[in-house]
Amino acid sequence: MLPFSISLRAGTPIHDQVVYAVRRAVVTGQLRTGDSFPSVRALSVALKINPNTAHKIVGTLTDEGLLTVRPGIGTVVAESRAPGSAGHRAILEHDAERLVVEARHAGVSLKDLMAAIRRHWSGTLENE
Amino acid sequence: MAYAIETFSLTRRFGRTEAVVGLDLQVPAGSIFALLGPNGAGKTTTLKLLMNLLRPTRGRATVLGADTGRLGPRDFQRIGYVSENQRLPDWMTPDQLFDYCRPFYPTWDEALRKTLASDLGLATRAPLRTLSRGTRMKAALLVSLAYRPELVVLDEPFTGLDPLTRDELIRGLLEASGDRAWTVLVSSHDIDDVERLADWVGFIKDGRMQFAEPVSALLGRFRLVEIVPASEAAPVMPADARWLPHGSAGRTLRFIDTGHDQSDALARIEAAFPACDIRIAPLPLREIAVTLARSSRSSARERNV
Repeated sequence: MLPFSISLRAGTPIHDQVVYAVRRAVVTGQLRTGDSFPSVRALSVALKINPNTAHKIVGTLTDEGLLTVRPGIGTVVAESRAPGSAGHRAILEHDAERLVVEARHAGVSLKDLMAAIRRHWSGTLENE
Repeated sequence: MAYAIETFSLTRRFGRTEAVVGLDLQVPAGSIFALLGPNGAGKTTTLKLLMNLLRPTRGRATVLGADTGRLGPRDFQRIGYVSENQRLPDWMTPDQLFDYCRPFYPTWDEALRKTLASDLGLATRAPLRTLSRGTRMKAALLVSLAYRPELVVLDEPFTGLDPLTRDELIRGLLEASGDRAWTVLVSSHDIDDVERLADWVGFIKDGRMQFAEPVSALLGRFRLVEIVPASEAAPVMPADARWLPHGSAGRTLRFIDTGHDQSDALARIEAAFPACDIRIAPLPLREIAVTLARSSRSSARERNV
């Protein structure tokens, strides 16, 4: 069992999908500062992914500052810091476009869409 | 880079049939390498040549640094090999099989054996002959993993298994890998079996290697591009060696960019299709393999002309 929600799709690199899932879990509070994060092996077994890929995922998340290694304890979720990296913005750009396309397709007004976004915004942690 | 397996123009004939032809295969140490290809492509023959179960007609191969013709018992203590139709002493129970195999391997890890046996649901006292194909495969795999080999060679381990059993086999394999680097060469005719597992894929057809590349390179290199013109004029597919036409329907033109990792990839598309809506999507590994197999077939046809 993994402490964050994910379901892998074909086509997109697994590394990117897992990194995104962890970012989302941190933003929504599914993972919080100090929570322990699965080891490379646990991640690899749980998702049935290549151990080298699992290793890279933990590396990326550590480099980004989302995870931190505590000697003797293992990998834990780091203290949150200001978001806004290029990776975050790229994801936002993609998701925002998809959201707008779906909303227009379904005939949802910009006002209703913004209201929905506000609702989700207040449902996440660390909002200024 | 060090290779766990390397072949040099490896060739094997059966009578007039060429099962494997001039195969140059390199399996990097520490990789999980999926050898893909349709049934009858030469996968099993290749693996048997590597395991010294067959002699090459021409060419040669090295496994863990040793010439395959000289592979002996000491080498096989470092190699785990499981084939699709693994022969097992059918009268034994799984536990009896493990007790029987243990003394052959100085590196046998009984703690790992126990963990895997319970993970794989092998705690049974029934003899192997009464067990399902999947359970027998699990027993064979467990024997080959319990001595922590440096190289694991699996010939179609997932064929004919139900999804749950396949899942358990994959988890067992990953559980046994621990945190150290080992090399796995796994053959399959179904890319779905190995898509997440492999970090290298090679595709073999008619005994010939069609391509072998890291999965990350393949995923980065290939994109499906859709062109939707703003005007009424239907877009025309320009000739570009990197682009493989992928059909058109209605006002949408599709092609596969095989060089999307190049820095000029997007600029090239934009220059070729001004005033068009351009959509770029990643391609699943399955479609990349199909695309490559198809294009290598047509280029082989051109060579023959």
